[in-house]
Amino acid sequence: MEGLAQALVTGILIGGLYVAISVGFSLAFGVLDVVDLAVGMWVVLGAYAGVKAHDWFGVDPFIFLPVTFVVFGLFGWLLGPLIYRVRTSRYALPALMGLAFTFGVATLIRGGMLTVFGYTPRTVQTDIVSGSWSLFGIVMPAIRVVGFLFAVIAVAAFLFFLYFTRTGLAVRAVAQNKESAGLMGVDVKRISSLVYAIYTGLTAMAGMLMGAVYSMTPELGLRYTLFAFFVVVLAGLGSVLGVLVAGLFLGILQALTTTYVGADYTLMTVFVVLFVILLVLPQGVSKFAKAVRT
Amino acid sequence: MSTIEAHDLAAGYGRVQILHDVSLRAAAGEVTCVFGPNGCGKSTLLKAMVGAIRPWSGTVTLDGEDITSLASHETLRRGVALMPQNGGIFPELTVIENLRMGGYILKSRKDLNERIEELLDEFPRLRERRGVNAGSLSGGEQMMVAIARALLLRPQFLLFDEPSAGLSPKLVGDVLKRAAALAERGVGVVMIEQNIREAMQVADRMYVLAAGRNRFEGTPADISDDRELMHLYLGIGKREEGTT
Repeated sequence: MEGLAQALVTGILIGGLYVAISVGFSLAFGVLDVVDLAVGMWVVLGAYAGVKAHDWFGVDPFIFLPVTFVVFGLFGWLLGPLIYRVRTSRYALPALMGLAFTFGVATLIRGGMLTVFGYTPRTVQTDIVSGSWSLFGIVMPAIRVVGFLFAVIAVAAFLFFLYFTRTGLAVRAVAQNKESAGLMGVDVKRISSLVYAIYTGLTAMAGMLMGAVYSMTPELGLRYTLFAFFVVVLAGLGSVLGVLVAGLFLGILQALTTTYVGADYTLMTVFVVLFVILLVLPQGVSKFAKAVRT
Repeated sequence: MSTIEAHDLAAGYGRVQILHDVSLRAAAGEVTCVFGPNGCGKSTLLKAMVGAIRPWSGTVTLDGEDITSLASHETLRRGVALMPQNGGIFPELTVIENLRMGGYILKSRKDLNERIEELLDEFPRLRERRGVNAGSLSGGEQMMVAIARALLLRPQFLLFDEPSAGLSPKLVGDVLKRAAALAERGVGVVMIEQNIREAMQVADRMYVLAAGRNRFEGTPADISDDRELMHLYLGIGKREEGTT
């Protein structure tokens, strides 16, 4: 019983970070109509930014978080228009080209990181939070609690932007009907860049915290891409509330698997569960299918 | 009197040309109707006129000023708005949010709120449904949202792409009456319509396109005289020929 409670708490704490990684990914898909296969690479890059902030500048990575957001946001701001351009091209299969493009970006980042940083797993070192708390016999490492709190704040800020600002309204409008939003005077290309920038910045920040919890290698990007897929497909693409639920669910599922089966079986369990859920609720993939067709 | 004119517009998608030198002239305070079979370029014409797509050649002028190269948000600022086919509402935004999007280019929030209040007075049904997602409204209500949203910027010219598509006959009548009322208030209404008989009642000027070219231009009275056109392109009058 205690093992179960521990697994649930651990799962929810890590699930918060999965939510933070997936909300931006989900919105970027809604606005750009491209599944960004590089999502996991932004996570790993964010983690390495934390590692290197410590190695090179002696800066505590957590102080570096806002800088991470700005730097990776800038990356996204530059990359977003390229994806938009590929996706809105008039010629053959723009959806497939968009996928190929982001896959290429992911491959480039992965190769570049392996060359520069090597295969050795690294963990983000921080002196700000350490130790762990214990409550009713349940152990909560401080770093995971901080990661969860960060995720709550970041996601709340993101939702505030989306639901309570004029630009956020325009973002939601673009995600629903690009042509119509354009007719209302929205600069769809600019909004796409903005969304992509917020998404990369947010994901890299979450990645830095993830890197403080689990050790990272450039090879792990694919794993986080798959996780983000899991969350977003399960949520039903474009559903923010769904992402909150699915992200926490993924965390819990992972913790339960680790506790009762073994950490090596995480990916397998996750995808068996996704497979079964999609068999029962196929509408989760409907928008995916539409995007690939057109 | 204020006018918007298209001169010899050619336009298309990719390499496929849809419009071949089409011209149209619409005046403020009038209802101008555009008819023609599906795929003849009516929607493309309206999109090219507001800058939603860039024409290959030809010009669009507003009161004589060339606006051909302006993007749609710029033509919007000059008082030319397009309501796209099926209204183009945002299904998962509420009615109010949809209206807010209609005023996206307005700088002043206060101004926007006042205009929304005005429109809710004019469309009381929308006031009742203000917090509901637009996608869950009935077809007629959705069209009301689209029309109200298009009116928010108080455009001088309002281009409707089939405002009555999919509506019941009674609602078609309502939409056309509203178009006529708008024209009386001084708005220049340009309207693509499939309900030809009904539209002829409110139209001041009519255009018929066929295969991306101008086929006819004139008043409703003129077009009634052209039996061949009525029959061939508009599918009207074969049976009535014998009786009248």
